Amino acid sequence: MLNILVCVKQVPDVNLVKIDPVTGSLIRKGVPAILNPLDENALEAAVRMKEQYGGTVTCITMGPPPAAEALRQCLAGGADRAILLSDRAFANADTLATSYVIVTAAKMFGNFDLIFCGKESMDGATGQMASQLAERLDASQLSCVSLINHLDTDKNIIQVQRELGNGTETAEAQLPCLITVEKTNYLPRIPNLERWLNSRTAEITTLSAAEIPGLKAELIGDPGSPTKVPRTYPPQTGEAGIILNEGNTEKNVAKLVSLLGEVL
Amino acid sequence: MTSYQHVTPEIEAQLRNIVGEKRFMSGDTIKPDYSHDEMPIYGSYMPEAVCEAESTEEVSAIMKICSANKIPVTVRGAGTGLVGGCVPVNGGIVLSTEKMNRILGYDMKNLVVDIQPGVRLCDLAADALSHGLMYPPDPGEKTATVGGNVSTNAGGMRAIKYGVTRDYVLAMTVVLPNGEVIELGRSVCKTSSGYSLLQLIIGSEGTLGIITQLSMRLIPKPGMDVSLILPFANIREAVAAVPEIKLANLDPQSIEFMERDIVDSSAAFTNNKIFPTVVNGKEAGAYILVTLVGDSEDELTLKMKRLGEVAAQCGAYDTLVVWTDGLKKSVWSARSAFLTVIEAEEKMLDEMDVCVPVDRIADFLMFTHDTAVPYGITIRSFGHAGDGNLHIYCCSNDLEEDEFKKVSKEIMDKCYDKCREFGGQVSGEHAIGHAKKAYLRESVGDTVYSLMGAIKHVFDPDGILNPGKVCHDI
Repeated sequence: MLNILVCVKQVPDVNLVKIDPVTGSLIRKGVPAILNPLDENALEAAVRMKEQYGGTVTCITMGPPPAAEALRQCLAGGADRAILLSDRAFANADTLATSYVIVTAAKMFGNFDLIFCGKESMDGATGQMASQLAERLDASQLSCVSLINHLDTDKNIIQVQRELGNGTETAEAQLPCLITVEKTNYLPRIPNLERWLNSRTAEITTLSAAEIPGLKAELIGDPGSPTKVPRTYPPQTGEAGIILNEGNTEKNVAKLVSLLGEVL
Repeated sequence: MTSYQHVTPEIEAQLRNIVGEKRFMSGDTIKPDYSHDEMPIYGSYMPEAVCEAESTEEVSAIMKICSANKIPVTVRGAGTGLVGGCVPVNGGIVLSTEKMNRILGYDMKNLVVDIQPGVRLCDLAADALSHGLMYPPDPGEKTATVGGNVSTNAGGMRAIKYGVTRDYVLAMTVVLPNGEVIELGRSVCKTSSGYSLLQLIIGSEGTLGIITQLSMRLIPKPGMDVSLILPFANIREAVAAVPEIKLANLDPQSIEFMERDIVDSSAAFTNNKIFPTVVNGKEAGAYILVTLVGDSEDELTLKMKRLGEVAAQCGAYDTLVVWTDGLKKSVWSARSAFLTVIEAEEKMLDEMDVCVPVDRIADFLMFTHDTAVPYGITIRSFGHAGDGNLHIYCCSNDLEEDEFKKVSKEIMDKCYDKCREFGGQVSGEHAIGHAKKAYLRESVGDTVYSLMGAIKHVFDPDGILNPGKVCHDI
């Protein structure tokens, strides 16, 4: 039976976030918090492994109390257990401090055979968490996984396809293994009513810093975070494109050639 | 027999003088888009000139010229219609309202928004939401103009709960064919003040007057909503559940039906595979998509539980909960793509937009399939199961246009006969245009059709406004 961990994050829906042009800070007011979309693909991959090979899927996140909503979504999507790490002492954590807290807490729930993560979070988008978690868990890592081919439960070897820029690679790794998932083949499922209703009332294991044995205060939150963000600023956007509609293809081509002539 | 005049160079100069060089087109400068709507099977007709008006005054001035010279005028919004309503079948000028696209202001205390007719539906809906309000009509074509929606009395997916466009028009400014400007309706909740010419203009497809300003009613934005997908073995079982869902006292915002083939096509075309095809080990053959609204999660939970019970009793394979915004967006964008998908996949296309009693939906759909099969025509359908409004497409990739038109007409004739037998309407929301005129006449009978024609004559004695449409015989 597989013990599977899925690490998730609640993020502001960045499609709706605006940046204050003067201060450069994010305007989060009124912006809904959602489960990081790429984490939904990680969850789906984990749940399919559970369905195929048997086991338990545990979801874990670090965040303020409302992050429980993201975990409820994971429960609706097929997770069996949800863990929320929530404490003011965790505030302002960078990826180093966050991975430390998550791994320290996760170890309370046994040794995990498979750990799934989204490729990156929609807001910070550092893409650093997966490697840090794998290192701290002493697990092998397979990134950019587009499809899990096979799990050899006797030899504890997992075989996957990795989506690379110039093609697809078949790769194998020994368990425990952390996998970051591409979204194409792991679209999240729509929960049925029974599962959704259960997810709304399910118990969420919530742990404060004091409830995680061995956690060192100097390695969490602000003190444990060497990354400093001096400034944020809006991305530069290019000019909007134009659509040529001159009536027919010949006229469109003529117009295009004329426009290109002006530029070149 | 009406005789019309052509746009002479002198008239062209006068029109050009009203709207200016940039908003006037004639001859080769007219884009072919102006010759058809989104159902090209009904023919292409080029106008002699196109005027893009920006104000009531400009529309009035144009109409005075056209009235004096008996030049046909066809009003056009975004051109997203499906029955040739905005197509200039008698030439003349196309008067485009697309540049009359300003939202003029909100009356937050009376929940009214004043707009120009060329405001797009999607823009009004989004802008109203940003004010904490909702514009309830929700036709599938979001880039249509609101003026076009009013002219066709468009319905859409939320009609079962909130009604149709007609229910949200409080007042309007109308330019009559002779250029005179009148105000119809008031921004109040009730009226018992003579014949409602306002209601007459709504759904008249630009044949009686030209709408140049609208006061639309809004409602407070509902607290929460959830959509639920009910997969069924086949379309008959799916639509049989609809009356039961309506009886369950859930006040749903929408009840849509969709057949598996169109869901598959949408998934392939848009790469959005959100609808599950195998549910609890069984292949889904059709789906019902329900949206419920409420003020709290507790209220919605109670409604969902009740819906789940009804769905199970009706043989649904499961009840799937579309709760998150991401899932809702995926599900409804798949639904919104259906017509585009059919247009992309089928070389030849003809459409009917009938509205039948809800308990006859399945029988009617079966009839269309059974009728089309012997002709080698494929039927593809989706629509608003909650109100019996069905969008049914005769499709072919094999037949040439002339042959397709011939057999499609035979199928349509039989289907509209069946619709009448079932007590249905020729059109639920796409209107009549010039494509469905004969079916309207058969459906309503000669007396009613003549009364419609007489009304048209009162407004437009020279028959210059959108000639050849609805009930106007040239």
